[in-house]
Amino acid sequence: TEFKSADIHNSDDYPTVTAVKFMSDELKKATGGKDTIKVFNKGALGTEKETIDQVKIGALDMVRVNISPMNSVCAKTNIPVLPFLFRSVDHLHKVLDGPIGEEIAKDCESAGFVLLAYYDSGSRSIYSKKPVKSVADTKGMKIRVQQSDLWVAVAGAMGANPTPMPAGEVLTALKTGLVDAAENNYPSYGSGFRHFEAAKYYNKTEHSMAPEVLLFSKVIFDKLSKTEQDQIRAAAKASVPFNRQAWAAYEKKEYDMVKAAGTEFVEVDKKSFQDVMAPVYDKFANTPDLKRLVKAVQDTK
Amino acid sequence: MELTVLGVSFGVLLLIGVPVGFAVGLSSVATIIAAGIPVAVVFQKMVGGMQVFSFLAIPFFIFAGELMLHGGIAERIVRFANSLVGHVRGGLGMSNVLGCTLFGGVAGSPVADVSAMGSVMIPLMKKEGYDTDYAVNVTTHASLVGALMPTSHNLILYTLATAGIASVSVLGMIMACIVPAVLLTVLNLLAAYGVAIKRGYPTRGAFSGWGEVGNSFVAALPGLLVVGIILTGILTGVFTATESAATAVLWALIITGLVYRSLSWSDFIKSCAKACKTTGVVLFLIGISNAFGYFLAMYSVPERTGDLMSTVTQTPWMIFLMINVVLFLLGTFLDMAPTLLICTPIFLPIAQKFGMDPSQFGVLMLINCALGLNTPPVGTTQFVGCAIGGISVGEVMRSIWPFYGALLACLALVTYVPAFSLWLPNLILH
Amino acid sequence: MYTRFCATLSKLSLMLAVAGLIVLIACVQYQVIGRYVFNDTPTWAEALALLLVLYITALGVAVGVRDAGHIGMDSIISLLPESMRLKLEIIIHILVGTFGALMAYNGYIWAVLKWNDQKPMLAIPSSMDYVPLVIAGVLVVLFTIEHVIALIQGKEVVPAWN
Ligand code: NA
Ligand code: NA
Repeated sequence: TEFKSADIHNSDDYPTVTAVKFMSDELKKATGGKDTIKVFNKGALGTEKETIDQVKIGALDMVRVNISPMNSVCAKTNIPVLPFLFRSVDHLHKVLDGPIGEEIAKDCESAGFVLLAYYDSGSRSIYSKKPVKSVADTKGMKIRVQQSDLWVAVAGAMGANPTPMPAGEVLTALKTGLVDAAENNYPSYGSGFRHFEAAKYYNKTEHSMAPEVLLFSKVIFDKLSKTEQDQIRAAAKASVPFNRQAWAAYEKKEYDMVKAAGTEFVEVDKKSFQDVMAPVYDKFANTPDLKRLVKAVQDTK
Repeated sequence: MELTVLGVSFGVLLLIGVPVGFAVGLSSVATIIAAGIPVAVVFQKMVGGMQVFSFLAIPFFIFAGELMLHGGIAERIVRFANSLVGHVRGGLGMSNVLGCTLFGGVAGSPVADVSAMGSVMIPLMKKEGYDTDYAVNVTTHASLVGALMPTSHNLILYTLATAGIASVSVLGMIMACIVPAVLLTVLNLLAAYGVAIKRGYPTRGAFSGWGEVGNSFVAALPGLLVVGIILTGILTGVFTATESAATAVLWALIITGLVYRSLSWSDFIKSCAKACKTTGVVLFLIGISNAFGYFLAMYSVPERTGDLMSTVTQTPWMIFLMINVVLFLLGTFLDMAPTLLICTPIFLPIAQKFGMDPSQFGVLMLINCALGLNTPPVGTTQFVGCAIGGISVGEVMRSIWPFYGALLACLALVTYVPAFSLWLPNLILH
Repeated sequence: MYTRFCATLSKLSLMLAVAGLIVLIACVQYQVIGRYVFNDTPTWAEALALLLVLYITALGVAVGVRDAGHIGMDSIISLLPESMRLKLEIIIHILVGTFGALMAYNGYIWAVLKWNDQKPMLAIPSSMDYVPLVIAGVLVVLFTIEHVIALIQGKEVVPAWN
């Protein structure tokens, strides 16, 4: 079978796109050419939310999305999105590769999704026209956020004026001054959306490390033989180190590019931001289950 | 196999006269059944295709156009255009061109433009002794410029259709369209003048003087200011494109209701109702085209078309010519919105590969689609123009060639001389 | 009797759509005011506007079907003899009605499926995105039935409002 997998990233060498292609090669080897995966990137099959729904009803085999749009589908996916939760990329990897990652995957399974892999998406930071050194600098700032309640709450907690807006409009909005700042990872700030052209300061708030996830439709997965299921899981697992390596290289390339283009990197007093995040945790980690998971993440060494 | 189902069912449904939107919808359903995918996806794509923030500008531009039509802005623009060129041979034809172009700047689409200006100008021209076919052709062609003018909702559709392929901003597209719009207006004026000379249409009195030009300009100015508001609003970052469209509605309401006092309560309600109906028809087409596009992506139609074209030729100008021909053929039976949404993902990557800038390609698409609006069997502006003039499409087609000539000349210049579309945006945005 | 029912329904739909359009403009204007005057962008405004547009479209599509506002090719039809033309027109209406029924049914399926999923920025279920499909679908079916009856009886459907 040629499984179809959706992705919204435009670049054919984006690390999530190449990782799923790598997985396809692994799967092809394992099944002696029987199974492969065709990646439809550039949002060809729809937005992240649309393709998630297609996977849920079994209209699409696989999808690679950021974990944020899964928040309204399975509650435990809120955990890795929470601001300032992870100390470092290593910390994030340890959590996702361990029992907590497993528990989140289980939660998705009950919602109709087989979570095959967590991929890297780097950390997100605020970029703006004026440097941001501490939370005092974001007060009253018009910050573009993704159209989600959690991101509105995060920017709101910083004292900013959160302005939700589709990604495609952000560059113009930054250029014209409709918004003062936005937040994203290096590739989106760089060649992805070219926001570096309009916002010179990249303030290393590193406020979220929300990972990407690779999902398989449970409806379709359940119809496959046990052997085939295992082969798919194994191929996906093999693509994770590939993705992490590819991500590191990609991020470095983007970092060098924006640096050469004149971006100023600002070191940030992260503690000042962490201190104001309590309302976000109260609102989005609001059940005993989620509170336990937050604690477990913090305790992961 | 699935693509055959898609093509054949769509063709048959269209041919027997099923409305375009429903033909697209039913053929999408047939295709998805053939592909063994749940039918629900068609309707998901349909809803998704309508829920795009920039598309909110569409009902706003439609509404603003209706308010201006019923609130007397169209008449004031006609008077201004008439004061300028009314006295030249075939002058009413030329003022029609100017009026349509100016109103095109405030109306969202060529169809809105032709219904507004046509209902004033076509009867007037007939009364003054112009042939009906001339009156209709002048109006329908002049109104096509509206597709390139700042308040064009088709322009916004194009920028949306480029998502995932290239990043084209609404503002960048507005800038790219301005010079070609002026060019097309000049060519339209030449065509209108040429035919008037050939048919020996009368001159109509003397130039009424700069006083009348000034007075009529002042009268028309508040209406024309909409363009200025939209442009400055976006350029200074006060509004997004969508917000500026909503502001255009508010402005039109204030001008027609409070300044001109020419919009009665019943005119207002009529404008609202008409705007809702048109919004329904247009957004339905847009939504369902999104389902169509889903299949094109799933069966790699863009890549396959690109490969096919590359095997035929590797010469850029030949490729661009082929793209134009295919777009023209599709435009004969598809409306503007579906053509833009379906064809942009297919042809933009090819055009880009052969060195064309996405904004330039956008202008090319818009002119091609505009051409389709005046080409049977499905030509929306032509239908409206003919209906107002009380004339058949066949009669209009017999004398359409000078006007096609103007459009094609403009298309050729835009296709092969990038500066027409790229000079202004490069000047202002960089 | 049925025609009068459909006419009332059509007029009511259009009135609701008009009300929606006015609220829609207010929403977007309020967003601008919020951003500049209060420096507090109302995050619900855009989400509500996008939702309203679906309802306006749904109502507009249906009234468009009743008032024959959708554009199609009529070159073939006009070439046919009278009796064939009538049959073909009935077939067209049945096809349009079929799509309406599919729209209603699938809209219902999505609405059920998305009941527990909350719409971002608005504290309502995502089902609300799909309810317009049900509304439009049902109205389209009703209006095409009216058209078919009118064709058989040799009557014409007159727009109910403006
Ligand atoms: Na326009
Ligand atoms: Na046409």
